[in-house]
Amino acid sequence: MLETRNLTKSFGPIQVTRGVSLKLEKGERRVILGPNGAGKTTLFNQLVGEITPNSGTIHLDGADVTGLRVAERARRGLSRSYQKNTLFDGLTIRENLGLAAAVALGKGQGLWSDPLQSVEVRETVREVAAQVDLAPYLDARVDAVSYGIRRQLEVGIALATGPKVILMDEPTSGVGPEMSKGFHRLLKALPRDLTILIIEHDMDLAFDVADTITVLNYGEVVFDGLPEAARGSQLLKDIYLGAWEDA
Amino acid sequence: MFTHTPLRLTTLAIIAAGSLAYAFAAGFYGLEILAEIAILAILVIALDLVAGFGGMVSLCHGALLGVGAYAFTVAANEAGLTALPAMILAVALTSALAFPIGAVCARSTGIYFIMATLAFGQMAYSFVFQSPLFGGDDGLSGAPRPDLSVVGIDLTDSRAFAVYAILLVALAYLVAAATLRSGLGRSLVGLHHNEKRLRALGLTVWRAKATAFAISGALAGLAGCLAAQHTQFISPGLLSWTVSGEALVVVILGGLGTLVGPLLGAILFVVLKHEISAITPYWHAIVGLILIAVVMSRAPGVFGFIEARWTARTRKPQGKEATADA
Repeated sequence: MLETRNLTKSFGPIQVTRGVSLKLEKGERRVILGPNGAGKTTLFNQLVGEITPNSGTIHLDGADVTGLRVAERARRGLSRSYQKNTLFDGLTIRENLGLAAAVALGKGQGLWSDPLQSVEVRETVREVAAQVDLAPYLDARVDAVSYGIRRQLEVGIALATGPKVILMDEPTSGVGPEMSKGFHRLLKALPRDLTILIIEHDMDLAFDVADTITVLNYGEVVFDGLPEAARGSQLLKDIYLGAWEDA
Repeated sequence: MFTHTPLRLTTLAIIAAGSLAYAFAAGFYGLEILAEIAILAILVIALDLVAGFGGMVSLCHGALLGVGAYAFTVAANEAGLTALPAMILAVALTSALAFPIGAVCARSTGIYFIMATLAFGQMAYSFVFQSPLFGGDDGLSGAPRPDLSVVGIDLTDSRAFAVYAILLVALAYLVAAATLRSGLGRSLVGLHHNEKRLRALGLTVWRAKATAFAISGALAGLAGCLAAQHTQFISPGLLSWTVSGEALVVVILGGLGTLVGPLLGAILFVVLKHEISAITPYWHAIVGLILIAVVMSRAPGVFGFIEARWTARTRKPQGKEATADA
């Protein structure tokens, strides 16, 4: 469903991703682990087209999308949530979700009707709000709700596009343990045919939801395998405890 | 997102009723002021659509108004079209010109967007100023008014013309409001709040901005047609950046991003201009002081101020509390 081949990106002399090759099957849930600065978010930015790789290719659903713009990749079913909330702050939660659904349904440039009133968009908003537990807050403005609710909305907007592949950049970043548990439930409840790639530092969540785990360090894939193998991996412990750097 | 709140609808109704009542009661001088307000009102509706809702602060809307005025006059005088087809042609032409301007300027934001629109506006101004076809510095005269004699209306009459101008303002408002309630309008507001996210959701940002600019351009072109019909004389001054600057002042004064506010702004501006200029030639300074006061008060314009106060008084609890109360 999503594949990268030798994806490399440098900023000046600094190589941020080095020949990253990943292959996600349809419905696979993969967690990307790695310390700060490992190149995880840069990898995401390349996948969605916000950054152009120096070399390597990206394939979505069998098609090479490396040269496509951000919007075109999104229209082909690639959606993402951001590590730092990237919302429509002055609007309500309903409008945020509705706008995402309207654009995804190709109603974002129509002139003859209000997409927010269409049955399809309203139904999507209702479904996604239920999925991410935002139904009670739909008419609240985004800038008037708590940080945790905004994190839920961040994921909700990505889901409202009805994606084939969703990339989630640290969805539990900055939220408390209770809300983190909520994200566990949310991720587990998502449709099984949805392919999910998650960057996550919360190990409990990572091992709980992952079918496979990829570990990045200094922009390189240093581990790619099952959670059980990752759990016992000395390499993974070393990376997080800093021994990799000492070796 | 744009909605017609009860306050907005009430304000619109008051403005419409007041304008029509004034149109039937005023003398020649008052009717001329009313027509002037109508021309400015259409221009500021056009500007608020892109600047207030889309965050695209344009300094070429004066030029677009001028293009509309010249296109109308040339189509009527040189191509021999009657007023109505000439108006349709002028509005379409202005819209067609605004689309590529919007498409090019959409690649930039903030101060760079403003400067890019200013550059386009100045290019248009210089072209018209130099071109013999457009009469150069002397301008053109003889722009016709629509012939509505078949329905017994004589638009050479100031009162009839004022009512006609008010109807065109209503038409411009309806077009802008319908645009804002469409998919494009919803996306335009989304772009103002977070362009990056909307692009990541799959929106072709430049096309959305250019289309909104084209619709706004069409409205500015309509204002130009009305301006040409009003004075029946046009000059390159119509395309000057100061016209754009004045429109921006009016939008900010009235209430950026409210659509209703700029209508109030247009009334206030023209009335203040005429009242204060009767006392002192330095009326610009007085209007400038008022604008500074509005900006420094952090109120989003006169109507924005009223709306904020009104909302604070009538706001209901939101979120879970609201649901629980319901």
